[in-house]
Amino acid sequence: MSVQLLTANHAAAMAAASAGRANRTARGFGSGVYPITPQTECIEYLSGLEIERGKVVLVESEHSAMAVCMGFSLGGARSFTASSSNGLAYMAENVYAASAYRLPIVMMAVNRTLGPPWNIWVDHGDTLMLRDMGWVQVYCEDNQEVHDMLLAAFRLGEDPRVLLPVMVCQDAFVLSHTLMSTDVAEQPAVDAFLPPLQLPHRLDTRARTVGGLDFPHEAEVHRRQLHETMGRLPLVWKEVQAAFVETFGRTLPDPVVGYRLEDADVAIVCMGTTAATARVVVDQLRAEGINAGSLRVVMMRPFPGEALREALAHVAKVAVVDRDLSPGIGGILWTELCGTTGHPMAQGYIVGIGGGDVRPEHLARVVADLRGRSTAGQPLIVEVA
Amino acid sequence: MEVRLHGRGGQGGVTCAKILAATWSHLGMSVQAFGDYSGERSGAPVRAYLRVDSSPVVNRNKVYAPDHVLVLDHALCDAAAVLGLRPGGTLIVNTMEDPGALAERFPGYRTATVDATGIAREHGIGSRSVVIVNTTIAGAFARIMGLPFEALEAAFTAMHVERDLPAARAAWDAVRVHEAQGAPRAAPASAAAAPILDLVDHVVGAAPALRTGAWRSTRPVYQTRPAPCSTACPAGNDVVGFTRALATDGPEAASEILARTSPFASVCGRVCAGYCGHACNREAMDEAVNTRGIERWIGDHATIARADQPQTGRRAAVIGAGPAGISAAYQLARAGWRVDLLDAADRPGGLLRSGIPPWRLPREVLDREVDAVLAMGVHWQGGRRVGPAELPALAGEYDAVILATGQSKVMDLDVPGRELNGIEQGLEFLHDANLGLATQISGHVVVIGGGNTAMDCARSALRRGAAQVTVVYRRTRAEMPAIPEEVEEAEEEGVQFRFLRAPLGVYGSDLVGGVELAVMESNPNGGAPTMSEGRDWIACDSVILAIGQRADPATLLPEGWTIRHGQVHALETPLPVFATGDLATGEGTVAHAIGDGARIALQARAWFDECKPAGPRPKGVVRHSEMRFSYFDAIPRLPARKRPAAERVAHSTEVDLGIEDGREADRCMSCGHCTHCDTCLVYCPEGIILRAGDGYGVDLSQCKGCGVCARECPRASIQMVAE
Repeated sequence: MSVQLLTANHAAAMAAASAGRANRTARGFGSGVYPITPQTECIEYLSGLEIERGKVVLVESEHSAMAVCMGFSLGGARSFTASSSNGLAYMAENVYAASAYRLPIVMMAVNRTLGPPWNIWVDHGDTLMLRDMGWVQVYCEDNQEVHDMLLAAFRLGEDPRVLLPVMVCQDAFVLSHTLMSTDVAEQPAVDAFLPPLQLPHRLDTRARTVGGLDFPHEAEVHRRQLHETMGRLPLVWKEVQAAFVETFGRTLPDPVVGYRLEDADVAIVCMGTTAATARVVVDQLRAEGINAGSLRVVMMRPFPGEALREALAHVAKVAVVDRDLSPGIGGILWTELCGTTGHPMAQGYIVGIGGGDVRPEHLARVVADLRGRSTAGQPLIVEVA
Repeated sequence: MEVRLHGRGGQGGVTCAKILAATWSHLGMSVQAFGDYSGERSGAPVRAYLRVDSSPVVNRNKVYAPDHVLVLDHALCDAAAVLGLRPGGTLIVNTMEDPGALAERFPGYRTATVDATGIAREHGIGSRSVVIVNTTIAGAFARIMGLPFEALEAAFTAMHVERDLPAARAAWDAVRVHEAQGAPRAAPASAAAAPILDLVDHVVGAAPALRTGAWRSTRPVYQTRPAPCSTACPAGNDVVGFTRALATDGPEAASEILARTSPFASVCGRVCAGYCGHACNREAMDEAVNTRGIERWIGDHATIARADQPQTGRRAAVIGAGPAGISAAYQLARAGWRVDLLDAADRPGGLLRSGIPPWRLPREVLDREVDAVLAMGVHWQGGRRVGPAELPALAGEYDAVILATGQSKVMDLDVPGRELNGIEQGLEFLHDANLGLATQISGHVVVIGGGNTAMDCARSALRRGAAQVTVVYRRTRAEMPAIPEEVEEAEEEGVQFRFLRAPLGVYGSDLVGGVELAVMESNPNGGAPTMSEGRDWIACDSVILAIGQRADPATLLPEGWTIRHGQVHALETPLPVFATGDLATGEGTVAHAIGDGARIALQARAWFDECKPAGPRPKGVVRHSEMRFSYFDAIPRLPARKRPAAERVAHSTEVDLGIEDGREADRCMSCGHCTHCDTCLVYCPEGIILRAGDGYGVDLSQCKGCGVCARECPRASIQMVAE
């Protein structure tokens, strides 16, 4: 392992490049890329890295970037791209196609507020907009996790029981542009962890139609296959976690990660870097004698409803802190948590949308509000100036 | 430990934080470095943050209660910079200010100052509009934090900025510290963060308008700066001005600009060495603009219209009707003086007529421009030789007398055999040849000298019947004072050269039979060549001497009269008598003569308080490195057209036919002169440059001083000046 000072954007590019190299004895690596703040540094850096049997193709739009990735992937190459915010919106049609074609493409998405009006800072609304596209989605908490999750994403998506694209999400600037020490995986280890890609339906000399017309019943079958694959996924993830720790000596997080939850009366549930701040607040509250805990949702798709239900079953009051807003209903994490766990008192809070610096004080105020309630009500938008 | 950095977009504050992070990381610490990222670009106040800890850093908030504050731009060193700074913390600022003075404004903190901008500028870090100080101040900060310089070196290497290490070292050495005293005045740490709103409180409405002009430390100023062609012109012509005028408004407008400084566009466009073109910035991009060709084209294609000037009633006598005398007469006539032009010759023109061959300067071209000067009321008095006896009377008769008799004394050769027949002075030979007086010359002619007179003699000899011409010069070809183009043309016509040869004697009996030459050795230091033991001989039929001439004031000035700074003094008394051209300066070219004639006219007028004398040459000439060549299309230079060598020698017709048309002027990049190209307006990131009057206006309430306009200006006519 070599420890380097890297931004998460660079850490991501190095993971993608080493994953690409690991497929050099098979069909190589191909990446269609288009820049957008705050992920541009990732593809910029990737373009400059040496990748044997690899190609990074700069195209004219995100829509084409994903199309290029699909072409590479259908040809049997390992494929990667990165995007963000409005770029993801423009890419959306092909984002869906990638999963429908069952292509194990990996995308690093930097979460950024959708515009207009223009805003470049963190907000999970952009990738959550794509939550129904048939991709696996994970949300990272630090630079190391971005690097590791990307390596794991290839292994997970390429597993013959899965064959799905994976989106690895990280918070704009808070991770993407922040320099932190990162253990960079060595190539031999990556080679061992990521065997050459064997895409069963890859294009070859035999005539084949991909993406033809789907009549209603066929569509039902295809959608059902996608859904059932998502259902199998947590078991495969456990295997990936085991292989990862064996290869690299570091652990990958479970789909949900609890903190001091065992005897908690109140809990903060959140995603991404807010989780680190939540742990600080939990410690502060514990010091004041309040039995607080927190829980980070790492995997948004497949949604870990069962794991959440189990983890929160004994917690009387839950503050679901969303860094997104679905106008007309509230936070997306909150609605999905409510829908899957049936928790009797899960109150929704929208904190840090548009990129506000979510400080411990904000989350302390959330917990104070939660503790003062006897029932859950409409979601509250917390202003973070 | 938490550090907050305050800088401006473009100064590299975020990179500074990253370098410092790398330094501590090198020492085994856990680090985190990041910046504020925003839609604002260069010049906007930007903060960056650094955390250092012995255990892993998990806090991802911005830094609200820093242990230390680092300020990259002293204008940002205000109460906001120290907000939340812990008592006893270090405030380090890029400023020339003394740390003690800083401590008075910010008590309770350890203060440190370093002139990082000055050091970075000295080390050439950054651009002409923005000096990048991040690596420099990192050196100072590392010193203050007690870090080993080796760790900083390792970080610089890891971040690929090792080139800036000398600047960091200089700041390391230069930083000064003042220890903390008293208690801070600043608000407590918690006030640094925005207040936490109650969950039901909501701020309504848009953000207030941002007056980005408040960020500015420099502002753009539109300036007309001297172009190198114009400053290089010895005649003082506004070369960029007439070239642009030809491109945009045609030959009449261009001629009007030329007429301000010179009556000799057609003449000078033919016989000048073309100093303007040699200075042209475009040479660094593709090829220099053929400005001499353009001047000639303007002179040949514009009508000469000389407006009548209101008469001042003053009278001047100009003695000597060469280019300097005519230039002085012309400028005085333009200023409303009545001028008498006296010369021993029977036609005005001086060396233009007697020295320069017609195949370089056709006489109808010379006559046209000379006649235009005479038509302004300059009264020609040919056949008037003025000597020491006549001058005092003339000085009494006229308000001013201008002496422009040139270099009347030719240098001779003091060698054995000088008395032989067949040795002639070059200027005499040219005089006779040019005025059609010379008999034919024949056989092998040796010309001694390396200047333009030598070239003219050699080529004239060919045209007047010489079978073979050899130029002998005591230095190398590169050292020849002659215009290189003339040397090339002489070569094309068959003139031979023998370099590093100096005449030792002429042999023969009665008639010249040949010259004996010493082989010279070039001086590697550029000084005079030294004579070796080697000898060389050329058998020839005649020898022409073209080894220079000098002024001889004794033939003109009475006893006790001297020339000081262009003005003649009788003992200590200044007289209204002025000397110009080769007589005064010895510069020896037509362009210099024109320039000096105009300058002396000003000096004479200034004597009568009509105007100010000519000022010094303007400074701040635009260098090619300041031009943005990427904005210009490559266009090949329009070459001069020349007659074939055989034809021009056989018929003594004009060698150089000039450029085909005036479109060469379109190649001028207008260095330092705004052309209203709108590049600044287009590139201003704030969109606050607007067309106003005959130029542009900048909305200073919004201009943040980013310097993009100055950086993008294709022709360096915008300067950023400190507020």
